Amino acid sequence: MKIAVLKYHIERREHESTLATILSIILAILAALLISALLIRMDGANVLDAYRSLFIGGFGSWRAIFETLNKATPLIFTGLATVVAFRAQIWNIGGEGQFLAGAMAAYLAITLFPKSPNSILIIVILVFALLAGGAIAGISSFIKNRFNVDVIVSTVMINYIIKFALSLMLYTSWRDSSTFYPQSPFIPENSYLPMLVEKYRFHAGFILAVLFAIITFLLVEKTPAGYELRALGFNPIAAKSRGINPKRTLMWILLVSGSLAALGGAVELIGLTHRLRLDISINYGFTGIIVAMLADLNPLGVLVTGILFGGLTNGSFAMQVKTGVPTSIAFAIQAIILLFVLTASILTRYTIRKVEDAH
Amino acid sequence: MLINFLQPVIIISILASTIRIATPVLFAALGELVSEKSGVMNMGVEGMMLTGAFAGFYVAYQSGSLWLGIIAGMLAGMGMSLIMAVMAITLRLNQTVIGLAMNLLASGLTFYLYRITYEVGGAITTPTVDIFPAVRIPLLSNIPYLGDIFFSQRLLTYIAFISVPLTWFFLYRTKQGMSLRGIGENPRAVDTHGINIKRYQYAAVMFGGLLAGLGGAFLPLASTGLFVSEITAGRGWLAIVLVIAGNWIPWKVMLASLIFAFLDSFQLQAQGLGVNIPFQIMLAFPYLAAIIAMMSTRVKSIAPAALGVPYARE
Amino acid sequence: MSAEYKPEIILEISNLTKRFPGIVANDAISLELYKGEIHALLGENGAGKSTLAECLFGYYQADSGEIRLLDQVIHISSPSDAIDYRIGMVHQHFQLIDTFSSVENIVLGTKSLNIIFNLDEARQRIKALCDQYELSFDINAEIWKLSIGEQQWVEILKALYVGIDLLILDEPTAVLTPQETDKLFSVLKSMKESGLSIIFITHKLREVMAVADRISILRKGKKVATITTSETNPKELARMMVGREVLFRAIKDASFTGEEVLTVNNIWTRNDRGVDALKGVSFSLYRGQILGLAGVTGNGQKELFEVLTGVRKATQGEVILSGENVINFDPYQLMLKGIGYIPEDRLRSGIISDFKVSENLYLGRQRLRPFRKGLFIDESAIQHYSKELVSQFDITTPSVNHLAKNLSGGNQQKVILAREFTQQPKILLAAQPTRGLDVGIVEYVHSQLLMKRKEGMAILLASEELEELFLLSDLIAVIFQGEIQAILDPANTTLEKIGLLMAGVR
Repeated sequence: MKIAVLKYHIERREHESTLATILSIILAILAALLISALLIRMDGANVLDAYRSLFIGGFGSWRAIFETLNKATPLIFTGLATVVAFRAQIWNIGGEGQFLAGAMAAYLAITLFPKSPNSILIIVILVFALLAGGAIAGISSFIKNRFNVDVIVSTVMINYIIKFALSLMLYTSWRDSSTFYPQSPFIPENSYLPMLVEKYRFHAGFILAVLFAIITFLLVEKTPAGYELRALGFNPIAAKSRGINPKRTLMWILLVSGSLAALGGAVELIGLTHRLRLDISINYGFTGIIVAMLADLNPLGVLVTGILFGGLTNGSFAMQVKTGVPTSIAFAIQAIILLFVLTASILTRYTIRKVEDAH
Repeated sequence: MLINFLQPVIIISILASTIRIATPVLFAALGELVSEKSGVMNMGVEGMMLTGAFAGFYVAYQSGSLWLGIIAGMLAGMGMSLIMAVMAITLRLNQTVIGLAMNLLASGLTFYLYRITYEVGGAITTPTVDIFPAVRIPLLSNIPYLGDIFFSQRLLTYIAFISVPLTWFFLYRTKQGMSLRGIGENPRAVDTHGINIKRYQYAAVMFGGLLAGLGGAFLPLASTGLFVSEITAGRGWLAIVLVIAGNWIPWKVMLASLIFAFLDSFQLQAQGLGVNIPFQIMLAFPYLAAIIAMMSTRVKSIAPAALGVPYARE
Repeated sequence: MSAEYKPEIILEISNLTKRFPGIVANDAISLELYKGEIHALLGENGAGKSTLAECLFGYYQADSGEIRLLDQVIHISSPSDAIDYRIGMVHQHFQLIDTFSSVENIVLGTKSLNIIFNLDEARQRIKALCDQYELSFDINAEIWKLSIGEQQWVEILKALYVGIDLLILDEPTAVLTPQETDKLFSVLKSMKESGLSIIFITHKLREVMAVADRISILRKGKKVATITTSETNPKELARMMVGREVLFRAIKDASFTGEEVLTVNNIWTRNDRGVDALKGVSFSLYRGQILGLAGVTGNGQKELFEVLTGVRKATQGEVILSGENVINFDPYQLMLKGIGYIPEDRLRSGIISDFKVSENLYLGRQRLRPFRKGLFIDESAIQHYSKELVSQFDITTPSVNHLAKNLSGGNQQKVILAREFTQQPKILLAAQPTRGLDVGIVEYVHSQLLMKRKEGMAILLASEELEELFLLSDLIAVIFQGEIQAILDPANTTLEKIGLLMAGVR
């Protein structure tokens, strides 16, 4: 007698489906929000109130939207920096330090040319930031090429070193003598980025971010250099045997990546904060990594996820006011989203198949 | 200025605190060593240490028992590493990204949980615990100079240093240790011997998490007596560096930890003595040293050949 | 066989089926194995032989079907089950830990090893086994120091050490010289006589006729037939393997030797371990000539190709290309100067599987016109170019924008050929270009190579298949331990002579 026994096998899909990808990301975000609800409960707050105020605080009014775009700007820059590096399987975790280096270079430029006309000064500032970020990341590429020191570890170490460097400058020559806080005096107005909507302090930095997102997209997807970047990321051995120089490619990729992050720092300084502070970066470097991963390492996608996370950060302030839940929950939620999205990517890779087993 | 350092009291103090400071990093580094020997790269050590620090502090504060705190720290680290293990070993996701996610999660979570537990309603008091006392080993601690340096440490410190030869023995003199090392070099080869690869990797990763959590818990419970955000300050990353600098050999990893602890200890002492170098430079020094250390060892490294590569029978 | 002799069946496979995504690797295969026989599993690459073996070894689990050992139904869900059932396997690609010694590789995880171990007893047992089979190599040396042939023996010892009744060997002679192969066969025969049953997987007809008692032919996942060796011949076997008459010889025009295009002079280089892999290699390539390179894998071919393509630095020597010494130029320059390359490991060095077919077709030339227009990649030019190549080379793909990883191995190789040939290189370096491909594709590659030869291309062809070299080469160079032993005319030499040279015997 034949008994059919149904077994289920988990096996790889042959073709990856875009629908599954989007579905999995949405599922992941929902799951993350559910878990985060637990965290909100732990503070004794009402979950629905908290999420409502979070959403309204992030997107519920023009003021909220513009502030969200402001908050998204640095994330987009560090996100782009991550995309450029990670697509080539170069683990640049130094976005945080490169961001700060950019802010510091911007400040330096301002101290050197305090009286220049606005448009010229902005260009000089951005160039200084580009060079600084590129140089800092370039150090990692040099010691990788020459001494085989992993990019991950050197960029992380350099993050700490730059943080200390910033602290040193803010305690000494760059300190605002009128306070005891380690922060710089306000930068002169001729160094500001143009304000697009004065009422809501929405500055042109977002436009720059969008611009660079497009540039990055074109670079990665439409240029020979980008082709080499992607080839290196997918198969460095084949790439090398077909003439793509891994060491040179590593170097320019890190230069570009570091520059992008540094631009973010400069833009944050001259667009929003207008003074150099120890906390000019609120984890932007690391959050930028999440933003990039969530966007599936797509430069244009970074615009979307950057705005999403900008809204999350922005909304968390309103949430704190309304329900008392500390803003730091935003960081926890972001990390939980990342974990769920990573796990959900499994859905796009595998499917379940029924197998009949005749006995 | 340097003369100030050469007084016996100062030297003893520096060396003694070197051993103490090395403890948390050594725990984390040994755990990471075992994990990497099995082929799994744990980038989330920093996060696991931080979680262990918070869990340890929280439980110790609430319960009044330091040892319960230590256990909590170990369990917290192990719990995080279990999540990591599932994602890296069973789901075979990218190990670097998982580790980073762990770090970010720990950062956000510990910061948030500390705020809602201890900083309620705006009033910011700093809760503290009484840290572990030093345990003087009878007889040995009476040796002039050496007694104060080596034999008047906390119990956990003795455990940390004894773990070094124990780890070596496990890896090189036991059957399971040999299998573990084999997995890190060539998992497919070991699979054909009928050994369960996943089980070994899970065990190794969770052991790493346990030790990372333990190392993290040491900081509030045996060093500072309190918890601040980012209390680990990169020690987890340092542990990863130490494994590389020690070329995946237990006693070399211990040596590397001691060297870094010495730099840290020296820098602290220098600050106390009013040395004229800005404190930021002193603080940055160990990180700089880490980079330089890796520059000298990375070229001839004997990293496990299959490190970071998720295994599957395709 | 006499009428009274009834062979004892020790293993019976019934209707075994194993599927992978998109393919049925084993399709209701039924097979009987007698005690004390050498049973060959014969088939082309991709026929399902290795998959069947891995199901017997527990590395894979069959989707349906039954396995009976000595008339008991058994389930082999992992290699440790197979080991318990006294089934051992020697894999095609060695499963050895390079940094461990042979002894350590053999005793790893075995039940007889204590938790806190001492290797002395194990060493003695292994030494005894070595003596029994007349093997002499240092069992305490790390694996990477051993020759390929010696590593093969370690693989076999791994199985023998734990005690087996059934030994499965997957393409064991792929990396052996003819002499080492003979030694293996004599050892297998003596194992057979002591009661061991052996399954011998191969695609080589000669070996099957030489050593097997019975042969089961697999084709496209199904078993075609089981036949006694004494009752068949190579031609019939080939027909069953492929399903049609097989052309045994590609037709090679008389050789014409043109000018010297590549002069390789006294090349020395080190391998990844820092040991000299090439010790003064010299040879020349001429227009319209195929120079075959014979040699067991691991004797320097990989390093030679890497030096000639610029991926590895030579410590000494020159490479004169059309009058210019291009030694240690980087890969890009060499490519531009007319060196084409078909790498040994398709998926690793030949194509980027996550790239589209079109992107793979211009890999390496992304900075050149017509693929680039100004700052950007010229997408329409690429589409045009790719479509042309796909039709010209008959590459089976739903579209040029499909990812290369979804193509079959044969079509991936065609992509590589298409890419290299259209660059019209002066010199083509081909390493194992037909490895792992169906007979149909192999014929295609052979005819393409001969066509290019006729058009004047100089080709260096490295292959483990001596027949292929004899078929295609104008001259055959033999490499052994980093030195060229001799360069011979295939018309004036024999397989045996080449085999001896491959083993270092002059």
